[in-house]
Amino acid sequence: MPLDFKSSEPLTIGIELELMVLNRHDYNLVRGAPDLLARLEKMDLDGEVKPEITESMIEVNSAVNRRYAELLTGLERVRDAIVIAADRLNLAIAGGGSHPFHKWAERRIFPTERFQRVSSLYGYLAKQFTVFGQHIHVGVANGDEAVYLTHHLAPYVPHFIALSAASPFSQGEDTSFETSRLHAVASFPLSGQMPAVRTWEEFKRYYDEMLGYGIVASMKDFYWDIRPKPEYGTVEIRICDTPLTVKLAAELAAYAQTLAADLLAHRRNDDSGPVYRVYGYNRFQACRFGFEGELVDPIARTHTRLRDHLLATIERLEPSAAALGTAAPLGALAALAAREENDSRWLRERYQETKSFPDVVRMQAQRWRE
Amino acid sequence: MNLGFLPTLPFELSFPLLFGVLLVSGMLGGEMARSVKLPRIIGYVTVGFVMAPLARLIGLDLLLDEARIFVDLALGLVLFDLGRRMDLQWMKRDWTLAAAGLAESLLTFAAVFATLLVFDFAPVQAGIAAAIAMATSPAVVMLIVQDARAEGQVTERALNLVALNSLLASIITTILLATAHLESRMDVETALLHPAYLFLGSLILGGVVASFARLVARSVEKTKDLHFTLIAGIVVAAVGIASMLKLSVILSLLAFGLFTRNDARNYDLLNVNLAPASRLLYIVLFVITGASLPPGALATGGAAGLAMAAARFLGKLVGVLAVAPIGGLRTRQAVGLAFALMPMSTLALMLHHDVTRQFPEFGANLTAVFLSAVIVMEIAGPILAQWGLTLAGETAPSGEAGVAADRQAARAPGA
Repeated sequence: MPLDFKSSEPLTIGIELELMVLNRHDYNLVRGAPDLLARLEKMDLDGEVKPEITESMIEVNSAVNRRYAELLTGLERVRDAIVIAADRLNLAIAGGGSHPFHKWAERRIFPTERFQRVSSLYGYLAKQFTVFGQHIHVGVANGDEAVYLTHHLAPYVPHFIALSAASPFSQGEDTSFETSRLHAVASFPLSGQMPAVRTWEEFKRYYDEMLGYGIVASMKDFYWDIRPKPEYGTVEIRICDTPLTVKLAAELAAYAQTLAADLLAHRRNDDSGPVYRVYGYNRFQACRFGFEGELVDPIARTHTRLRDHLLATIERLEPSAAALGTAAPLGALAALAAREENDSRWLRERYQETKSFPDVVRMQAQRWRE
Repeated sequence: MNLGFLPTLPFELSFPLLFGVLLVSGMLGGEMARSVKLPRIIGYVTVGFVMAPLARLIGLDLLLDEARIFVDLALGLVLFDLGRRMDLQWMKRDWTLAAAGLAESLLTFAAVFATLLVFDFAPVQAGIAAAIAMATSPAVVMLIVQDARAEGQVTERALNLVALNSLLASIITTILLATAHLESRMDVETALLHPAYLFLGSLILGGVVASFARLVARSVEKTKDLHFTLIAGIVVAAVGIASMLKLSVILSLLAFGLFTRNDARNYDLLNVNLAPASRLLYIVLFVITGASLPPGALATGGAAGLAMAAARFLGKLVGVLAVAPIGGLRTRQAVGLAFALMPMSTLALMLHHDVTRQFPEFGANLTAVFLSAVIVMEIAGPILAQWGLTLAGETAPSGEAGVAADRQAARAPGA
């Protein structure tokens, strides 16, 4: 089957959020997705709610929007619908990149053909993949632009990691990382980055080659941090933890939209090689230290504090933000960065207060409703 | 030479020995049941059945009678755990849950009551037996849920309905006992005061104990180990206090659990998992239950016992099927839920025990009928409950088979 890139309206945005389905007595993950989805099927939603790999997760897909404000309103509506349905089933829903204390072995694979296949292929990795991420889609006119943006958004991946980090705890321990979720992704053989193709034609040749080896069956088999999404006509950023609120989720989408607008308006021709040589290091710094990470600039050969790099970038984006109506969300992100605040810090503070993971998750679920 | 340090015959048998024997033999029985794909509980109970005549042979039967303390402790723990799973907030948000509980309880009462009337039992006696029959065995359901690793809507709803029908059964039994006392011309004050004392006293005890537990919890670090010790200690003490004050152990402990869960503004008490420790008591509980069931009752109780069990089955099934689908449960789930409510065991025996002590007129005939119904459900109940949770798709797929199938299927690329 040829891999056709479906054109879409440039700079439209949409997001996917993976959410936790929890019981209300000890706030562990619970097998609630099938009942919740059955109930939501009967409701009219601004978007879509779908099953995910294990029965303790659901995935929310927003509608496609041009503006941040529309995206946020739609997300709030779908969140409210989910919360009401969950209430009736005595389930709680929460954001966050990882559940602090669940045991992966207790998870159950959602009984669809694809998920069962993933599970049988990847063994315990599939259940350990019970982590919760946000994917941001930005619409592009064609495949070449998707390839261009995939490469040129890569240097900003640490920003998204630090801003969205919401998984400091894993399997009942503090991991010392700002985000532990990305380790679950890294174990998959096709994780990492897209190879150094420069056009959609080159990408298709690479894809056909992988198909020929029998390594992949579809685009879904690439677990890259950023990838073109030909079926939707978008470039997809898959690096973020699911934030604790829909507002932050929408703000992150606004940041991606503004970056993309800027990169398309001021085209660059630089070679992606040096960026990818420091990519792993920068990514680790962001995962481990968040805003305090040290980023290496491979062109200028300098080290910069992640926070400062992020603040400088947002300042540089001001004209594009004004045009797109994203000045407010970018301002909110800048304020978070300036105070070095993210959801991981919030979660750690709640744990300091309560000394109890079930209490942390309960507060997390409460925050999701707000 | 003085041989006084040697034991003298006959050996003196003791509680520790009895407890150990019950535990190990029960465990072995459970695993044998497991090997033929039956719920473990059936193994525990069967060991009790088999042991009762043997115990009589070696003079252990007297100890067995006094082993009621284990039963009280085990049931106390079970009811506390159950009370903790009962969620009044949920019942408020989804009225169909409480409605399903009321429907199945009342229909069960009506069906059993009518059946016993057909068999010529007096209305008061029939009413008391019908009230007891409303109760589902909390211990059986909780153990099945644990063993089958059941998780989901039906499981959660089943646990809430078990709590609800246990509560209703206890209350209505108490009220009917008062009526019975009135009939047998006991004075009115006693007849009214006794149930009031039992009900309010147990409720207050539950509340006080829950507040005390929270108070102590606040003064220690919030770790699972500490809270486990705290809860286990207070549960045992509460059983003691309830017996000391001649209150209902059932109501007190259910109330204790309910208060820790539903007045959780401050979230002082961790929701610790009591399963590993309560397993020991559960095993002993079921072995003793098995030993206390006289197989002879089946012959005396006969047709009436079977009819009673059947009426109870229908009452619960129809009650749940009538209401649960309104709450959005699919038919499979509703049937699964009804089946999960079938077990009848220790709680019913304990209620019956209390009734016959206070009200000897209950009669040997009805006792035989009642016991034969319990014996039937002691075996059928766990099977039905496990089957129901599986039908609802909530039991865990068995581990090893799953992994083997995975390896087979894991060849194709492109997951």
